Parts: sequence; structure tokens; C-alpha cells
Amino acid sequence: MPFSARTSTSLGRHRKKPGAGKWSERLFLFTIIAILAGAVPARAHVGSPDIYADGKAGPYRLFVTVRPPLVIPGVAEIEVRAEDTGTDAPAISGIQIAPIPLTGPASLHPPVADPMKQSAQDKHFFTGALWIMASGSWQVRFTVQGSQGAGVLSIPVPATSSSTRGMQTGLGVLLGSLGLLLVAGVIGIVGAAARDAQLPPGAVASRQATKRAWIAMGGALVFMIAAVWFGNVWWKGEADNYARYVYKPLTMQALLEQSPNAGPSLKLKIEDPGWLKSRKIDDLVLDHDHLMHLYFIRKPGMDVVYHLHPEQIAPGEFQLALPSIPAGTYSLYADVVHATGFPETLVAQLTLPVIAGRPLTGDDAKGLAQALNPARVDGNSCPASLITRSSFPLPDGYTMVWDNPGILPAKTPQIFGFSLLDVKGKPASDTALYMGMLGHAAFVKDDGTVFAHVHPSGTVSMAALMMAAAQNRTGASKADEMASMPGMAMPAASNAPTKLPNTVGLPYGFPAAGAYRIFVQMKHGNTIETAAFDACAAASRN
Amino acid sequence: MATTWNTSNLVPDDTGSKSANSIPWYLWCSVLAVTSVSIGAHWDVSWHRSIGRDTFWTPAHIAIYACGVLAAISCGYLVLFTTFRKPASMVASSVEIFGFRAPLGAFIASWGGIAMLTSAPFDNWWHNAYGLDVKIVSPPHTLLMLGVFAVSVGTLIMLLGSMNRAEQAGNAMLARHLQWMLLYIGGLMVVFQMFFRMEYTWDVYLHGASAYEAIAIGMPTLFAVLWQSSRSRWACTWATLIYTVFLEAAVLILPLFPAEPKLGPVFQQVTHFIPPKFPILLIVPAIAMDLLWNSTRTWKPWLTALASGPVFVLSLVAVEWPFADFLMTKAAANRFFGTTYFGYPEPPTSFDVLRRFVDPQHGATLWNGLALAMLFAFLSTWLGIALGRWMRAIQR
Ligand SMILES: [Cu+2]
Repeated sequence: MPFSARTSTSLGRHRKKPGAGKWSERLFLFTIIAILAGAVPARAHVGSPDIYADGKAGPYRLFVTVRPPLVIPGVAEIEVRAEDTGTDAPAISGIQIAPIPLTGPASLHPPVADPMKQSAQDKHFFTGALWIMASGSWQVRFTVQGSQGAGVLSIPVPATSSSTRGMQTGLGVLLGSLGLLLVAGVIGIVGAAARDAQLPPGAVASRQATKRAWIAMGGALVFMIAAVWFGNVWWKGEADNYARYVYKPLTMQALLEQSPNAGPSLKLKIEDPGWLKSRKIDDLVLDHDHLMHLYFIRKPGMDVVYHLHPEQIAPGEFQLALPSIPAGTYSLYADVVHATGFPETLVAQLTLPVIAGRPLTGDDAKGLAQALNPARVDGNSCPASLITRSSFPLPDGYTMVWDNPGILPAKTPQIFGFSLLDVKGKPASDTALYMGMLGHAAFVKDDGTVFAHVHPSGTVSMAALMMAAAQNRTGASKADEMASMPGMAMPAASNAPTKLPNTVGLPYGFPAAGAYRIFVQMKHGNTIETAAFDACAAASRN
Repeated sequence: MATTWNTSNLVPDDTGSKSANSIPWYLWCSVLAVTSVSIGAHWDVSWHRSIGRDTFWTPAHIAIYACGVLAAISCGYLVLFTTFRKPASMVASSVEIFGFRAPLGAFIASWGGIAMLTSAPFDNWWHNAYGLDVKIVSPPHTLLMLGVFAVSVGTLIMLLGSMNRAEQAGNAMLARHLQWMLLYIGGLMVVFQMFFRMEYTWDVYLHGASAYEAIAIGMPTLFAVLWQSSRSRWACTWATLIYTVFLEAAVLILPLFPAEPKLGPVFQQVTHFIPPKFPILLIVPAIAMDLLWNSTRTWKPWLTALASGPVFVLSLVAVEWPFADFLMTKAAANRFFGTTYFGYPEPPTSFDVLRRFVDPQHGATLWNGLALAMLFAFLSTWLGIALGRWMRAIQR
């Protein structure tokens, strides 16, 4: 720690303007910029920083949990569970992990990977930790060795500082008293140097020397007051600097526009609240077929939900012709992904009158449910009775079932399983892909502080996942790669339609204790079904 | 406890040493402290250029903080022993601060030890609060460096006081041994001063004035302090010889140990610890300063300093400039000169890897810069002579 960052000197050098100052901090900043080049620090989802992902490293299926650090640079904690645990499943002998920027030249130069620790009790469970040195769009690359050779899986990790911490009282008192001791020590040393230092052994200081010492100590006191004052100003300046690195999502303003000749429409204006310069608003990329996935969720009961896809009409400006919507106050959550693979969720509030608009088309979907009863929920604890039912009747007679309901502690990874049943209660035989996947879900906390858009491959953005996977390609075709992502079943090479399963598994972990509503969307034929389930997370185990 | 000890008010002598002719253990301990941090600091930089990532408990960090621990133990002992046990000879040669008694240098070094140990929890909190090592020049790191500086200055002053007393007592042998230790500490202080200038004196910067300005600020002060206080005719030469040997030893030894980068992006294949750059040829201005000062003993300090400025800068440039040219050639690309070692994050397009000078200067720009360096060297020398003369008279 103490002298570390010096080493980045030479990295900064080649991009340094001739004659520019050589101050170490400036050089280190160059390094950060180098790593950031094009990367935008941000965090996907709202209030749900941990990453849960399900994927295949060659023949091995992994359930990955990544808990990014609160401050950057910092340590990300990583857990992996091998999912195929049957007797003839491929056995994993070891997993190695490496942190790599997701895009840009630095992504081509990974460091030496670290081995994960295999649990002694559970051979299928691995843990590890990695340094994430700069804010931005990262990936963790898992290299697996086992009975069927090697396999690679890359999971995108958006990393940002999400807070600065205060100082604990005990530590403050300790450091404060040591600081006082040091200040007093300087004054005492200066006095002794002026009074006694040059006296022959045994001699006693003259009155003149004593007087000289008092003057010197006065001078030292003034100097130390100035030094402490300067140190304080410096500290505050540094703290303010770091505070600017704390992630601020893009802001979004939602406006209802009613023009007499066209129908009612929604205008979304996105602005950068002034944060890192490298963040752009005009570099959004398609994420499972759309630039923006917009959830409308009516407050407070979460009884009405829409999943819509506004069009970009100018950089930072989106527009959507509104469908018919019941009146109410809605929370808007908009998922976008930057060219760097960096996902952000933008939020806004909007109060609407009854909207008589266009019918739903394409990938648009809506769902209605009973209001979540706030009386059942008491702060961060919730009773089991909150989970009133694990099957949800759909408007067309189909039913969606939550296969593994129950109360889970927060921060516990789980694959949430859901099945679609037809009008006869039999597994639906006409399941279809909705935007390329078997299912989509939104996990929303009752107080609106958590929103996570989850897919069969987990909480990671699909666009970022593809960027990461493309780097691991070793001759395999793109179709193989897609097929290797759970829930992204692609037609076989012969183009013969394959029958899709009627179930979907969604990897997630609740970030905090409390009541949640899970909106799950699946498709059969041309119908997009939206179901709502209530869930409860108990206090975290750790 | 103090009262019980007061009964033995007349402890005959300094029990820290077996006899008046040997060097007491606490001086060895302080010298070890300064040695430890010098090694630790270079090791740590090498660690970050080779491996990149660390925890608090790397051997390099332990070597750095061991300096604070050793200083706190040896000087803390000295302060408590002198204050409460009151051995006659040690009390006689001590200074008093807030009721505590010890040699002045012991107070300074223990201040440094406490500063270093304070910086550890402070630094740890800083990294948890704001992230790790985003900046080197942070308040906790500054406190650490001030602490290291105080430990070395305190050790120097302790040695000086002991040496001056030994000389007064006619114990020439002991004074001689203490002078050697003092020059050794002086050498390590040169090492540390050059460590702080590492980024400004990288070989690819040596065809610009700024590298020489960085050296001219402060280095002549240390030279003058050592020359004036140590009473050695060749103080600067000995100290820079120690610096040269120390750095070259690092160049030769560090690559013997394996290391691989744990952070990306990795632009250089690193398989072993990356050593520091070849030492600056400071030995030449050091010899020049010793010769000059030996023959200007009767001059006024400002006049000596005025002559020293140009001699220091020009003698350094005269050898370092062509030597830097040599360092850019294939002939220097070997284990001894160590110009083939690059840290893992150095891109192949960097000046260092390409072996090209950054922003080479010539003509008026260069001479303006060198003139400024000479001015710095003059002022630094003047300050050093004044400090050195004051320190020369230290007896406690
Ligand atoms: Cu989706």
C-alpha cells in the first residue's frame, strides 16, 4: 500500500504531453483513465448491486455470485456453485478467476488468474476474491478444469464506488489522540533542540537558552496549527474528490404529451448529472432487441405493470406512443446499456390520468394483479403469510406457477423456477421465446428501493454478456455461444423447430430483507403472459 | 512504578551498553529500523510493478512498518529507561521534554515511529472509505513518509550525539565506529531521498533539466549536513557509495525471485520481481563536493554554497548525460545495468520500453533549466551547511 501507485509511472508516460508535470498522482490518474478508456462507471439495477449469473464454461454449468466492493478500488467477493452434480455429471477439479476490463485494449491483456478455493465440505462450492482497481465495465473470467477438459465463462461486472464511509468513533478517538501526541511531540522536540541539545553532558540550560526554547516552541505551535489546518483542508478536498466518484445514475425526466392529432405519448429526457466525463448518453446499444426496456409499475400496490420499449428519437431523448393505461402514480424503471457493456437503470415518477391509447403491439406486455397489501409488511420483516399463492391465473386461462416458493434470507443466491401451464393445467406445449429468452422477470421491493431485471442467465445485461462471451470464442460459432446461455435456446443447426420447455429458471438473490413482488413474463404462441408473485426475504445470514 | 524505581536513583552507568567502548543495542536497533524501511520501500515498488496487487501483510509492507516498530521499541525503551531509572551518565546526556528524558534523537525517532504506526490504521481506514491507493500523496501516506524521515533523522542525531560525546571523552575508537554507522545511515538517507525522486529521475528523463532540478533540490542539503556533522573528509563519497551499492544490489537481487502480475492490463510478460533503475551516478558530484569542501573550510558558508551549486550540477550532468545515452543502447541491456526490466503495465509504446528519452532538451531551454538547478543547489547547500554546523555541536 504505502508506495504502490508509483509503479504506474511508466504506463502514463507514453500518453503524457511533453513538459507536463510528473506528479505521481497525475500519472496515476492517467492509469485510471487508461483503464476507463471508453468505460462508463455505473451500476445496473436499482438497489441490487450483487450479480447472480448462470452460465456454462464449456461442459460445466456454474451458478456465479459476484458481490462488487462498496468503494473502488476494492475487493469483489465471488462464489461459484457447480450445478450439475449428478453421478455422470462432469466433475470440476478447479476454477481460476481473473478480473479484466470488458471492452477496450486493456481487455486483451488479462493478468494471471487466481485459483478459487474449493470448499472442503461441499466439493461443488468455490469461493474467491478479486481486486477491482478502477470504476467501470469489468468482467470476471472463470476458467474451469475438470473431467471433460477446460471451459471458460465470463461474467460482466459493472463496478462503481457506491458510497464513502465515515469513521468509527473508537478509531476516531484513537487517531485523534495519537495526532495530538504527535503535535505536542513536535513542539517538545523543537523546544528541547533549542534548549538542551548542544549542552555538554551534565550542564544546565542557561536562562537565555530557556527563553530561546520558549520562542522556538511558540513558533512550532504556530507552524503545527497551520499544518493541521492545511491537513484538514487537504483531507476535505480529497474526500470531496472521492465523493464525485460515487456513482450517480443518469437522470430521467418523464413527460406526458397530449397532441390533438396524434395519441398520447411519453417523452423521456435523459441527462448526465455531471459525473465522470467518460460517461456518454449517445452510446446506447441494443439489449435483447431494444435500446430501452421500460417498466411502468403502479404505486403503491404494484397492481399494474407494463413492459414497454420506447424509441430513441435523439441522443438522450426517447419517445413512446402510450397504450391504454389506468390512472395512477407510476414508478418508471428504464434499463439501458452503454457501448462499453455498462448497464444503467434510470428511474422516474409519473402521475397519469386514464390514458386511452393504442393497443399493445410487438414485445409490449402488461399485467394486472391484486395490490400488495402493505398492512402485511412490517418494516424489513414480513410474515410467511405474505406468500398467499404460488400460482397465478392468467387472463387467457393459462396459469403460471412459482415452483420453489419460500422465505429466503437476503443475499442468498437461488434459481427461482416458474412454469407455464395451459388451460387444462398441463405443461404448456406452445411455449415461445420472448425477446430471445424463455422468461424475463422484474424483482421489485415493496418500497420501490429495489428493482432488478433478471433473465435466465442472471442479473447481468444480455448485451454485456454477449460482449464478454465473444472474447472467449475459440472457433465455436455464435449460435453455439447463444445456445450455451441458459434460456436462450436456439433452433438447432438444421433449423428444425425444437420444442421449448415450459419452465424457466431465474438466478437471483434479494439484496435486503423485506417484501418483494416478482413480475414474471413468459410467452406462448403469440401471447405474452405477465404474472405477479409475492415474496419475502428474511434478514441476511451474515 | 516510577517511585519504586526512584529508590535506585544512582544507577552507575548506561546499562544499554556493556561498556563505554561498545555501541549500545538501541543504536543498532535504530540503524536496523532505517535499513528495514529502505529495503521495504524498494521491495514494495517492485511488488507493485511485478505483481500489482497486495494485501496489508506483504513482506514489503512488514519491512516498512517494522521500521516504526523497531524505532518505537528502541527509542521508547530509551525514553522510559532514562526517565524512570535515571542512570547518571544517560541523564547527563539527555534532553527533557514534558518531564521525559532521553537523547534528542531518541525523541525524534520515537516521534517517527509513532507517526508510522499511526499511519497504519489511518491508511487502512482511508482505503476502506475512499478506495485503495487511488493516490500515493494522500494524508496517511504523507504521515508515513514523515515518520520514516523522522526515524532516520532521529537515528542520525542519536549517532551524532554519541559520537560527539565519545570524541569529547577521548574515546577515538568508539567515535570512529559511530562515524561509520553515521555514514551508513547517511547512505540510507541518500537512498531514501533518491527513492522520492524516482519518478523524476527515471532514465528516460535524464536528457531534460527537470531530473537535475529534482536532484538539486535537497540532495546538496543532505550532502552538506553529512559532511559538516560527520567530521569525515569523504562523507559524501561514502554515503553515495552506499547508495550506489544498495541500488545495484537491488538491480541484481530482485530479479532472482519469481513474480507474476495479478492485475490487468498486462502489457509486459513478467516472471520475476522487476528491480529499480540503475543508480544515478551521484558518486561523481559527491566526490566533487568532498574535494571542494575540504579546500574551502575557511570560506564563508554562502560563498562555499555559491561555488557548490554549479560544481554539483555540472559534475552530475557531465557524467549522467552521456551515461543516459549509454543506458538507451543495446550495450546496457543486461542484468548489470538492468534496462531490460519493465513493469507489467508498461505498454510497448511507452518511452521506457522503446528506450527513448522523454522530451529531450537542448540549447537555451536546457541551460535555463540547469541554471535553475544550480540556483537550487546553491540554496540547498547553504541550508545544509547551516543545519550541519548546528548538528555538529549536538551533544545530547
Ligand atoms: Cu428482459
